[in-house]
Amino acid sequence: MFHFWKSFRRQTRVVISSLTVLMMILVTACGTSNSGSNTTATNQVQTVNYWYWLDDPSHNTIQDLIDQFNMTHPNIHVVGRLIPFNNYQQTLINAVSSGNAPDAARFKDWWVGQFAQNHLLTPLDSYTKQWQYTSDILPQYWDTGRTSSSSPIYMLPNEYITFYLYYRKDLFAKAHLTPPKTFDEFLSDAQKLTDPAKHQYGFAMRGGAGGQDQWYAFMLAGGARMVDSNGNIVVNNQKAVQVNQWYIDLFRKYHVAPPSSVTDSYAQLLADFENGTVAMMAHHIGSYALLQQKLGDNLGVVPMPQADPSNPATMGSMSGNVIMDSSQHKTAAWTFISWLSSPTAIDVLDRSTNAQLPVLQSVANEPFFQSNTGWKVAIEEEKYAHVWPPLPGVGAVSGHVWEQTMDQALLGQISSQQMLDQIAATLKSGQ
Amino acid sequence: MDTVTQVAIADVKRRHRESGLRSIWYLLPAGVIVALVIGYPVLRAVMLSFFRFSPLGGSVTFVGMHNYVQVLTSRQFGAAALHSVIWTFGVVAFQFVFGLIGAVLLNQKFRGRGIVRGLVLIPWATPSVLAAMMWMWILDANYGVLNDLLTRLGLAFLARPWFSQPHTALPALMLIDVWQGIPFFAVMLLAAMQTIPDDLVEASKLDGATAWKTFWSVKFPIILPTCLITTLLRIVWTASYMDLILIITQGGPGYASLTIPADAYYTAYSDLNFGGATAMAVIQAIVLLGVVMVYLKLLSKQGILDK
Repeated sequence: MFHFWKSFRRQTRVVISSLTVLMMILVTACGTSNSGSNTTATNQVQTVNYWYWLDDPSHNTIQDLIDQFNMTHPNIHVVGRLIPFNNYQQTLINAVSSGNAPDAARFKDWWVGQFAQNHLLTPLDSYTKQWQYTSDILPQYWDTGRTSSSSPIYMLPNEYITFYLYYRKDLFAKAHLTPPKTFDEFLSDAQKLTDPAKHQYGFAMRGGAGGQDQWYAFMLAGGARMVDSNGNIVVNNQKAVQVNQWYIDLFRKYHVAPPSSVTDSYAQLLADFENGTVAMMAHHIGSYALLQQKLGDNLGVVPMPQADPSNPATMGSMSGNVIMDSSQHKTAAWTFISWLSSPTAIDVLDRSTNAQLPVLQSVANEPFFQSNTGWKVAIEEEKYAHVWPPLPGVGAVSGHVWEQTMDQALLGQISSQQMLDQIAATLKSGQ
Repeated sequence: MDTVTQVAIADVKRRHRESGLRSIWYLLPAGVIVALVIGYPVLRAVMLSFFRFSPLGGSVTFVGMHNYVQVLTSRQFGAAALHSVIWTFGVVAFQFVFGLIGAVLLNQKFRGRGIVRGLVLIPWATPSVLAAMMWMWILDANYGVLNDLLTRLGLAFLARPWFSQPHTALPALMLIDVWQGIPFFAVMLLAAMQTIPDDLVEASKLDGATAWKTFWSVKFPIILPTCLITTLLRIVWTASYMDLILIITQGGPGYASLTIPADAYYTAYSDLNFGGATAMAVIQAIVLLGVVMVYLKLLSKQGILDK
């Protein structure tokens, strides 16, 4: 019996030691993951975890700005984490659901409704009221960070885009055409510039990932709206169905877009436009520097063609910054994100390869932005640009519903009405 | 029974008891880790599938079988399930056939064999994202090498936007995965072939067997257990693999290349419906478990697992 007991005790010691080591490893791992959020009590430096994506990851402009901020703000240490845009929303959702959300994050207007509905974002009104640049940002930009006209502000505007039309001056000159101003001119030009035998097409349609912005820009320019002035979802009304059918027909009936349009995404569009396979491409200022570098004087920029030029519209989209409600360092986080939207940082960001439109009017009025066609057209369009409505269902529509239904509509598997009914149902289901 | 024998028997029993107890103690740390790393997520996923749950918070509501009913009556899930079956068995079948051919070729003696054996592993070692980007441009409608080659060969009528047509999108994705997976089969089967005793092969040749007869009657039965286990592993991996689909087609055009894991992914992260997504995952896991059980039963019946 004694022998058995001795053996049992020895084995128990081995097992307990193993479990202790295991627990220590787990505790250390958990501790490591949270250590970034801790305040270093000894020198009172507050650590702010900040997540962001970049349109051009080859140049980490945001990290440059973070370094500059850290140097000039000794009491705050910002730790940046670059996440590819394709995984960004998913990573943020995972972080929130597991209680590891960052203090502050770069954000799209698409997601404001989804996150604000679940009380995950900090209302910023108490900060913005005292911020020196509040009046330098247009009221409609502030609205992109709200869920309704009376809701608090959840997102601080930082960079804006408006959709316009790029065209190849060489191809237009060869066909003796002028850039289109109306939908009719757009279709007519596109037809004249299309010659499938030569792999030549009028328009680069984006049916694949991310194509919802281009589609929405054409829907708005055609006179359709996603919600009316009372906030009712009208994306499937008669007008919208008609404009959507016109857009689908560019591919199905008039064949002015390449056969691969159904799944083409940004990389394919860019390659087609740069190589002259397509003559027109709807995009925003984000691709301007690259296209100008590749095409030089052959690059033309005009506002989005309109169905009714007397009542113009295009799509705008805001990228801003939010403070997560779970943050323990909200004031420090505000100091950082408000600095990112100050003239110092905006000026650096919007002259880089990650440039979009400056949200501060004082910066937008600088000669650099006013004297350049690409910037000038985009800034002029700001007056009539509409953003995606701040509905919780927008996340699902932009995530996969639009792409799946658009593909089906382009392939003739569902009608324009059925496509928009599905989008409307998704928008309503999130409410 | 004399006292000495009784003491001896008691001693043996004690040793057995101690040995059994010791085994349990030694297995316990591994058991705890398995329970934490595998058991807990599985249990949580199964539980989640009975709730309406958004990862962004809000209420967690018990909905019973509602998620399962909704998933199983959804046209989209039906299409995804069919594509999953085509994807899994199609990919694994082609990988096995070409992997076997590759293993036979690599088992021959030729100059530079070592280098070739290393090079064939490149597709397997290529990260999925890189492979996806590479093949996206090879199969590109306007600038793809494949369409260009077909045009130069006078087969322009065969050139098409491979990822943009419903009937070619899934086969094009399968082609990429077959390309990536062949080396795994080739290397596994090659390793099995190298265990075949030379004298068996020599004896069959002396008996006048043809190369095919030698392969089929002597070599193949010896490598069969490896073939079956490797195939089983690949079925499980391939059924859950969705990287290529997410990067290249996002399940499109329409639902043409949507599989169950991709459908679950979009349901979870776009629709924020974790209950529905986990229900899909549980259904796939149950079906896969069924396939694995039947497969193992067959292997066991033939005594392959005992070898």
